[in-house]
Amino acid sequence: MSTTEYIESGALEAYILGALTREEAAEVERNISRSTELTAELKAIEETMLRFTSSFSKEPPAYLKDKIWSTFGTDSNAGPKLIPLQPEYRKPATWKYAAIWIALAGSAALNLALWNQGKEAKEQNNTLATQVNQMQAQQQQLTALVTEYQKNKSMMADTGMQTIVMHTIKQGHPMAATLYWSKTKGEAYVSIDALPAPPKGMQYQLWVMQGGKPVDMGVIGIDMANTPNMQKVAKLLTSGEAFAISLEKEGGSPTPTMENIYVMGKPS
Amino acid sequence: MSSTTVYTEEELVLLLQRQSREGFDYLYRQYGAVLYGVIFKVLNDEQTAQDVLQDAFVKIWKNIGQYNAAKGRLYTWMLNIARNSAIDKLRSKGEIMKGKILSGDDVVYSRDGMKTEQRTDTIGLRKTVAGLKPEYEVIIDLAYFKGYTLDEIAKTLEIPLGTVKTRMRSAMQQLRTVFNN
Repeated sequence: MSTTEYIESGALEAYILGALTREEAAEVERNISRSTELTAELKAIEETMLRFTSSFSKEPPAYLKDKIWSTFGTDSNAGPKLIPLQPEYRKPATWKYAAIWIALAGSAALNLALWNQGKEAKEQNNTLATQVNQMQAQQQQLTALVTEYQKNKSMMADTGMQTIVMHTIKQGHPMAATLYWSKTKGEAYVSIDALPAPPKGMQYQLWVMQGGKPVDMGVIGIDMANTPNMQKVAKLLTSGEAFAISLEKEGGSPTPTMENIYVMGKPS
Repeated sequence: MSSTTVYTEEELVLLLQRQSREGFDYLYRQYGAVLYGVIFKVLNDEQTAQDVLQDAFVKIWKNIGQYNAAKGRLYTWMLNIARNSAIDKLRSKGEIMKGKILSGDDVVYSRDGMKTEQRTDTIGLRKTVAGLKPEYEVIIDLAYFKGYTLDEIAKTLEIPLGTVKTRMRSAMQQLRTVFNN
């Protein structure tokens, strides 16, 4: 059956009208997931149905609202405790290899030069020694970076690692962030490469939906925005239905500020 | 947040997931009347409809974590909860409701032709859906408001299953024209 014939058959309408058995509905869902044309048609039918049903709108009696609320019996706004993230920067870029080699070569050359000219003026020697120390320190930093990079690479190679792209929920503002999550290990890394730098006094904060509630996953380093750097999520993350990043005051908030939620994403 | 705040569905889901009063207020304000309208349409009894509306809100509140945006709009999800709760109630009321509604059906869907005019006047659909052909109205009513499956509709109306589906298609096409203008 062609897509057009399928649409004409009324199967989508039957689905929206709830007239299908569980198996039939599942089949329609399978078909829809394979075709953007069917998805678009379904959306149009859904929209019509929403307008149709809203034409039956009937105000329920006023007292009912509080009665319903009282049956919920929840303690709302009991937000989770705030635990800040320990920033851990990862810089996956090939130029760093080059930088390391240049630094290493430079350092070695300098060492050699020092060895040859070692008997020259002490002051100069001392100065150079200081420089060597500096370079050694730099070298250590770069080595640490390489280690980080290797860890990063193995992290990306981990098949258990899923990538969750959080998309903008602010219309007209194309923003995005990425979460790399190894559910089995409970490890996650967040990158906010497509978020604008936060304004002064503000900071991004990561949230995970667990059991229907947003749980604080810590704040994200201020200088992380607009860079490809990744920050390790310091808290153990073994479950989550969705992820979101909101802009909060520096240091984070106990619960997300709704209107400042910039991006959201769900694990596939 | 003032009462004029407009939330996207995603934002509302988040609010509901953190069980905020603001979220509930907004939910009730935006969708209370629509959900109540559909429930009432199914049950045709104010008191029962109010009980079911309460059930439906509790279900929405408790199950919001299971809502999957990939499968459709929040609005549709909530409507289905309300509608299913109402239909369940309709069925659980069994004989009483059957007497109230299905005896009407027997008259309407008798073999000697469909007296849809009579039926829709009883149900009151005609008042709200201007211009929808009676044979379409019946199908939408049975499917959406009475919870009949395709098969049940085909048997009740004594028409082939394929015809039920194509009439559903035509009915929704007609509604699309009505509501998009």
